[in-house]
Amino acid sequence: MTLSEPISEVGVEVSINGRRHRHRVPSRLLLSDYIRDTVGLTGTHVGCEHGYCGACTVIVDGDAVRSCLMLAVQANGAEVRTVEGLAPAGSDSLSPMQQAFHDNHALQCGFCTAGFLMTLESVDPGDWNEPERVVELLSGNLCRCTGYQNIVAAVSEAWSAYHGDGGSGDG
Amino acid sequence: MKPAPFDYCRPSTVAEALEALGSSESSRVLAGGQSLIPAMNFRLTDVSVLVDIHRVEGLDAVACDPEGVTVGAAATQSRVLDDDGAAGVVPGLRAALRHVGHLQIRNRGTVCGSLAHADPAAELPALAVASDAVIAVSGPGGEHRIDAADFFIGPFWTALEDGELITGVRFPAPPPGSMTIVDEISRRAGDFAVAGLVATVETEGGAVRAARLVGFGLGGVPTRLEAAEAAIGGWAGDHPADTLAEAVMADTGDAFDDIHATSWYRREAVAALTVRAARTALEAGEAA
Repeated sequence: MTLSEPISEVGVEVSINGRRHRHRVPSRLLLSDYIRDTVGLTGTHVGCEHGYCGACTVIVDGDAVRSCLMLAVQANGAEVRTVEGLAPAGSDSLSPMQQAFHDNHALQCGFCTAGFLMTLESVDPGDWNEPERVVELLSGNLCRCTGYQNIVAAVSEAWSAYHGDGGSGDG
Repeated sequence: MKPAPFDYCRPSTVAEALEALGSSESSRVLAGGQSLIPAMNFRLTDVSVLVDIHRVEGLDAVACDPEGVTVGAAATQSRVLDDDGAAGVVPGLRAALRHVGHLQIRNRGTVCGSLAHADPAAELPALAVASDAVIAVSGPGGEHRIDAADFFIGPFWTALEDGELITGVRFPAPPPGSMTIVDEISRRAGDFAVAGLVATVETEGGAVRAARLVGFGLGGVPTRLEAAEAAIGGWAGDHPADTLAEAVMADTGDAFDDIHATSWYRREAVAALTVRAARTALEAGEAA
């Protein structure tokens, strides 16, 4: 789809968690605000709005991105996933990583949690199978409550099958 | 914390992109947006026309041949970081990109965008200078090429003129048998460096034969460490580190102070990184 003339309002069509959405939005609308305010999915949190905190991390076409550093129009035609899409639809259960966060007390206020979960969801655990690399992977998400220990413990538990520590794992 | 209103376009050819860039004095190129959008969110930059080059034909290519790697303007940092072919020909690309931002930033951010942004603490401009990269530019006056050494003029200031667009950058392969090390001091993995070094080191018979040394986070532009390059020839692991470190101190007299570090700290840090890079290259040379 080409759009060669500069315009202040643009048509956007995206799939979010498998559901198609079509809107006409201001060019300047950030993807984070589109997800929260236009579509109404408020599980994606907006922290710093300059790409530092990672709270607004979502998955766009398979890649974890900061939704505050993307315009809604840049996601045109993309498949977006947010925290609302993690748990199996129509059931009360959590995704294995969400459950591990719950079991390990890996969240306190919960503001940063969606961002952590989406970063983790975007990668293949087999590519991040050393505990030190998990810390590197999580370095783009800030948590001001937990001190990270419990988050790392939750990841370790969810990915134990990949971490070669003999755990059965459910990741 | 939201961008001020602007007009957006998404051209499909370089010619259309140049036309859109020429349509306003405050037009800007949007590549990955990982520096531009925060600046717009803070309203630090005034943009009336935003030209998204993401769907410009051919600009997302990464092409490798034995002499070097050419990275198109829309190719993301993650794409280049994960490219084994590119890492094989120009190992410095992977070494540098591992330090750039975080995963989420690299998934959108582009190599050429980092060059155009020209942050004095960024790794890729220093790598470009260290590896004699050549930047391909298109503009109203046609196409031309700019050597990395001439490209960076000051902090966030390059030789790009209004209405011009980087279309790609060519990183030539380093000398055979050399090792490229990108090392830095930063407060948190992925943050901008307090100070850092790109070193391409050639070793021979247990000593350094020659090296290209470029510091970053020291001044407004990547800093070529010429005295250290002269001092490092013949340096071996059992030689005193002081001679090398003193040469770096001589090269970095203009390093700046800020709340993160004093000038002295930055100079000492890059001196230590230089000694460490030489030792790492010598060890690798012995193991090879």
